[in-house]
Amino acid sequence: MLWYKSWLETRSRFLIGLAVMMLTAAGAVLVYPRVMKLLPLANTVDTSGELGRQIREGAELMRSYRGYVWGQWIRQSLTQMGTLFAVLLGSGALLSSASGSSALFMLSMPASRNRVLGIRVATGLWELLVLALIPALLIPVLSPGVGERYPVIDAVLHGLCFFVAAAVFFSLAQLLSTVFNDLWRPLLIACGVAVALALIEQAARGQWTYGIFRLMSGEDYFRTGHVPWLGLLGSAAASAVMLYGATRAIARQDF
Amino acid sequence: MADPLAIETTELRKSYDGAEALRGLSLQVPAGSICGFLGRNGAGKTTTIKILLGMAHPTSGQARVFGLPADAPESSVEIRRRTGFVSEDKDLFDAMTVGEIVRFTAAFYPRWRPNLEQRYLRQFDLPRGRKIKALSRGMRTKLALLLAFSRGAELLVLDEPTSGLDPVVTEEVLQAIVSHVGSEAMTVFFSSHQIAEVDQIADRVAIVDGGCVVVEGALEDLRERYCRVQLVFESDAPEPALRAPGVVRMRRAGRVLSVLCSAGAERILDETRVLNPVSAEVVPVTLKEIFLETVRAGD
Repeated sequence: MLWYKSWLETRSRFLIGLAVMMLTAAGAVLVYPRVMKLLPLANTVDTSGELGRQIREGAELMRSYRGYVWGQWIRQSLTQMGTLFAVLLGSGALLSSASGSSALFMLSMPASRNRVLGIRVATGLWELLVLALIPALLIPVLSPGVGERYPVIDAVLHGLCFFVAAAVFFSLAQLLSTVFNDLWRPLLIACGVAVALALIEQAARGQWTYGIFRLMSGEDYFRTGHVPWLGLLGSAAASAVMLYGATRAIARQDF
Repeated sequence: MADPLAIETTELRKSYDGAEALRGLSLQVPAGSICGFLGRNGAGKTTTIKILLGMAHPTSGQARVFGLPADAPESSVEIRRRTGFVSEDKDLFDAMTVGEIVRFTAAFYPRWRPNLEQRYLRQFDLPRGRKIKALSRGMRTKLALLLAFSRGAELLVLDEPTSGLDPVVTEEVLQAIVSHVGSEAMTVFFSSHQIAEVDQIADRVAIVDGGCVVVEGALEDLRERYCRVQLVFESDAPEPALRAPGVVRMRRAGRVLSVLCSAGAERILDETRVLNPVSAEVVPVTLKEIFLETVRAGD
């Protein structure tokens, strides 16, 4: 029944996230023919400066359908919205029930705090995995509709890269939710951290080959075909440390 | 063998950010008793209950329920498995319906009593399909009681069970508690600042003030032990320094000197005889007087 309670608490965020990400995935595939018609225009614009570099890079990626999907959907929509929904799913654990004051009722049950938190985390991670895989798998399913093919293995691997990296933000939000007793501070702080990391990564582009968003978008896999195992392991370890921190914090907490 | 004490705390202390909520609270609740935990707002009642149920950790001291340490995670789970609890706010999971929260709660208790569940659903007129957020405060209280009663618990911990209820629902809730406890062998520990409630259903009382238990015992014993010695003088009453033990509070009002004592009224009468009162009598006191005088004595 703890699973059911966790599902009730997170289902609206999860279902909205799933709907939004599926819509963006479907949209990216379905507008592909029209984008291709506009592609020649990219050669006519002034290509100096950062904006120019991005246009040039975008046009270069679009030479292949795989590049288009990665550049337009995985690198942008999946990572940006996915991070937001990972934080949303991670925000609000046992403590945030306290703002709704039902924490005492939960704590009066014969279930340890670790078990309650563990099931809440497991539910959130399961939902995040679905958010990672289902929209990604929609790409190979819809691609024949625009006369293209997209490998299922690419969809699965990009989905998994996204899941493991986004789990870091999920775990951060969980950890913050054991510290703050409202939904908003964990959400805002975790989003702030994500934005800061994205800006640092953007600024260090070209000098630094590591980054959480680079990992999340599976850029190494896209460009070289190699799965970034080291980055995935590092992210999983960071998530594990933060979730362990959350269990320690919740064990000491007074309600 | 079952522990003769359902609840026992020894020198329990709890501080929140430097503010002391409990200051060495020692308490004993025998198994099978109905113990009213009486105190003003902020006296430490809810903090004590939270420590007993593992929701808060004591700064120092010990709390044991069924002989098990309340602060150890494993034994706390066992304590909660054998305890029914109703919180002051009666906040439940708003997203669930009545039927869902009943199923949810039942899943945690191997000794869940479906017959009691059915009985109280009917008695309290609780609609299974209604969302909890749509229930009135009275209905939420009744639902919280149903969830606590049906657990097959050995101990019922109720934190201000009638708080915020109208007199009709208050009476209904108190009657339900009395009738349930009358038919089940269990201990009840309920906090309140409503003296009449405690007087109505408790057989034992612990008065807490400023984070300490100031009076504790069986209600009958307290009524026998406590009394007021009322002395009337010809002119203004003197203010003697009484040495007799058991003086709780002494008050002067014009010609009248009133002494509340917890023991040995005879010794007070002996001691005050030298003051030549016009009249001296010993009058019984109510629980309300005991409560008001003991908590005022601490001011």
